[in-house]
Amino acid sequence: MATVIRPRGQQYVDLLDRVWGERKGLVGWLTTTDHKRIGIMYFFTALAFFGAGGVEALLIRTQLFGPNGHVLSPAAYDQIFTMHGVTMIFLFVIPMTTGAFGNYLLPLMIGARDMAFPRMNAVSYWIYLASGIFMYIALAQGHAPNAGWFDYVPLASKTYSPSINIDYYGWGLIFNGIASTATSINFIVTIFKLRAPGMSLNRMPLFCYAFLAVSFALLFALPSLSVAALFLELDRQLGFQFYTASHGGNPLLWQNLFWIFGHPEVYIIILPAFGIATAIIPTFTKRKMIFFPLVALSEILVAFLGFGVWVHHMFTVGYPTATTVYFAAASLIITIPSAIQLFAWIATIMSGTPEFKTPLLFIVGFILFFIIGGLSGVMLAAIPFDQQVHDSYFVIAHFHFVIFGAAVFPILGGMYFWFPKVTGRMYHEGWGQFSFWCTFVGTLVTFFPMHIVGLMGMVRRNYTYPAGLGFSTLNALETVGAFVLAAGLVSIVANLLISYHKGAPAGNDPWEGDTLEWSTTSPPPPYNYPVIPTVTSPYAMWDTADRELDNKRLERGEGVFALGHRTPGSTVQDAEVDELLEMPPHSIWPPVTALALAGVFVMLLLQHYFIALGFAAVIALTLIGWHRHGAQP
Amino acid sequence: MSTVPGGPVDRDTPAGAIHLARQRRAKPNGWWGMVLFLCSEVTIFGTMIATYFYLQFGVHHWPPRGISPEKVAYPSIATGVLLLTTFTMWLAARAAGAGARRTVLLMISLSLLIQGAFFGVQVALMSSDLSRFSPRSTAYGSIYYTLTGTHDAHVLVGCLLGLAVLWFVARRGLTDYWSTATRALALYWYVVNTMAVFVLLTTLSPSL
Repeated sequence: MATVIRPRGQQYVDLLDRVWGERKGLVGWLTTTDHKRIGIMYFFTALAFFGAGGVEALLIRTQLFGPNGHVLSPAAYDQIFTMHGVTMIFLFVIPMTTGAFGNYLLPLMIGARDMAFPRMNAVSYWIYLASGIFMYIALAQGHAPNAGWFDYVPLASKTYSPSINIDYYGWGLIFNGIASTATSINFIVTIFKLRAPGMSLNRMPLFCYAFLAVSFALLFALPSLSVAALFLELDRQLGFQFYTASHGGNPLLWQNLFWIFGHPEVYIIILPAFGIATAIIPTFTKRKMIFFPLVALSEILVAFLGFGVWVHHMFTVGYPTATTVYFAAASLIITIPSAIQLFAWIATIMSGTPEFKTPLLFIVGFILFFIIGGLSGVMLAAIPFDQQVHDSYFVIAHFHFVIFGAAVFPILGGMYFWFPKVTGRMYHEGWGQFSFWCTFVGTLVTFFPMHIVGLMGMVRRNYTYPAGLGFSTLNALETVGAFVLAAGLVSIVANLLISYHKGAPAGNDPWEGDTLEWSTTSPPPPYNYPVIPTVTSPYAMWDTADRELDNKRLERGEGVFALGHRTPGSTVQDAEVDELLEMPPHSIWPPVTALALAGVFVMLLLQHYFIALGFAAVIALTLIGWHRHGAQP
Repeated sequence: MSTVPGGPVDRDTPAGAIHLARQRRAKPNGWWGMVLFLCSEVTIFGTMIATYFYLQFGVHHWPPRGISPEKVAYPSIATGVLLLTTFTMWLAARAAGAGARRTVLLMISLSLLIQGAFFGVQVALMSSDLSRFSPRSTAYGSIYYTLTGTHDAHVLVGCLLGLAVLWFVARRGLTDYWSTATRALALYWYVVNTMAVFVLLTTLSPSL
């Protein structure tokens, strides 16, 4: 039941409106520290990069529509498929899930008024934006990274890739990683310290567990990528020898470091999808999740186990069987926590009263694709099989079912699910269902035949293929599927854009949702909740007595904290109120700091190291400015 | 307000900060932020140290022929002296919680002297190393200088952070924010000092 503001509570709401009022216009967006506005900026930026990555995908598919295609030159094809991977992973999925969904929803779900470090949150966004522009400048110049998204040496070394393309990759990913590290620190502290009174860890929504697991995985996985990229740039720009076998270096060092990051990365991509699924399923089946503690543990276990399987990307490099068998076994173990979640979702849907509205349809699609991708994953964990299909389209099929079908479908479902909360309006259900079927069929038609052409021997990353190998019909089918898929995605964006202007008013809680965000207005006010809610279960919105109590507390002015940008900080485990935190208001420093950091990376790219040092000094100055007035980071 | 134990306090005054430090049961957000940041930094060091041994196991001669193993004495003494700052920073953190501003200023200054001197010695040692072997000629040189350079960079950043905290504590007093910052700075140095030991043992491992 939603917060009802009665006349006596209105005075407090007026006060909060005054205290938390945001600046208007462009300056307001530039200087905002509101997690919701930052989430919205993340959303649109990630969506733009999704569009760019999607166009790249369509270019690849158009090229491969028939044999001997010549839409793209071989060199352009290399850049396009590399940028497709880099964009989708680093500039779309992670920013869309953690940046947009996490930022907007997480503080709302735990009943907080902002993230733990609002200005650091803003700087994360601006760094992300700058790093994305950094890498797309490369594409605009025709010098985009071109050695694949995992950028193996020696191909990526100075000897074989002498031009600047790979340097954009190396510095760009370190740059981007800073934003993700800051975001993950912010999420963990927010989840640990800002939960509403009573929301002990065992009463936290499963969505938040997923984001906690993702944040920890990012925190420990990204350093490996950053170090690998640093070594690469030291080799390329200063002539170091990390990856040069003739001077005692080792090209496999890159593969190991990359995949120590790269495999946890796969779970970083898919865990938020699990979180979104666990938010949508209870709402549309009107029952609580089955096996709540097991699902929570599984989410964390998947992130943890993900660190121990990286060599399964390297079964063909010639490691001893004892090594590869260990990693094959570790990879198979991941099926256990994954299956626990899978069965919990299916059992919850089957034992509830499911209402197949668009968001739940996308979750059902996600479950199906996750099963397909999971089964081919089990096949790939078998070493002899993997050695046969390595670098073939079978692998492409596998990971697109997992990181497109399974990871992106919940994002799409989540867009529909929370659209009423973010905009205050309803989307068009009929068009929503159409867009689901269109993307669902498109995904199947695009990616399923890749299993078959892969088994027939079609190799990935080749810019074309000759006629007469039996690939042509299936490739043409895949390309048709890709355009159907694109049409589905465009229809989602169109539906949401039109509904934003013409949709029916949504009210606070159109779905009778189970988590706290549905108790506040749509869209929520800058302070999220007029009264900080108290929580007694993970399904806070279904505890109607608690929500009624919130309304009474508002009338008494209890838990309102209206005399400043205030939100309670709580104890880590039991979420008992511990102190009142003073949150910083808007600030111009985050974008300025990000701009200076962009200066550092541009100068590193151009090998003007002293000027880069100068920009680093500017960052130090901005950080002093950052602390001139405010108290909180 | 009544739900918050102890009621509202003015966290921008030293008295309020002491009160807050006493009543608080959980660690402050700034402390958590630093802990998590350091998790990331330790992982960076871990990755580099793992790289050192990974490269070592791939070749017959480590260090490669023509490069004499590191001398043990000077770097060990320097690191030993740096470790003393663990104690001074601990005293600074403790004084911050108690609101003893002069002790905080004194202990951070004392630490800065040692840390600054250590950084100077490291620069001298590195330039003497550079006259013996280059990071460009072998992978040994590459990882040696990258690992020690990363450590030195952390020392330098720590010194700059120390200076900033010193300046702000001197100007603003031990408000809750700067009291937490002092504790976070101490955490940073505990970790950097621990990493100093690991980096030292790694780089000296061929000589031991």
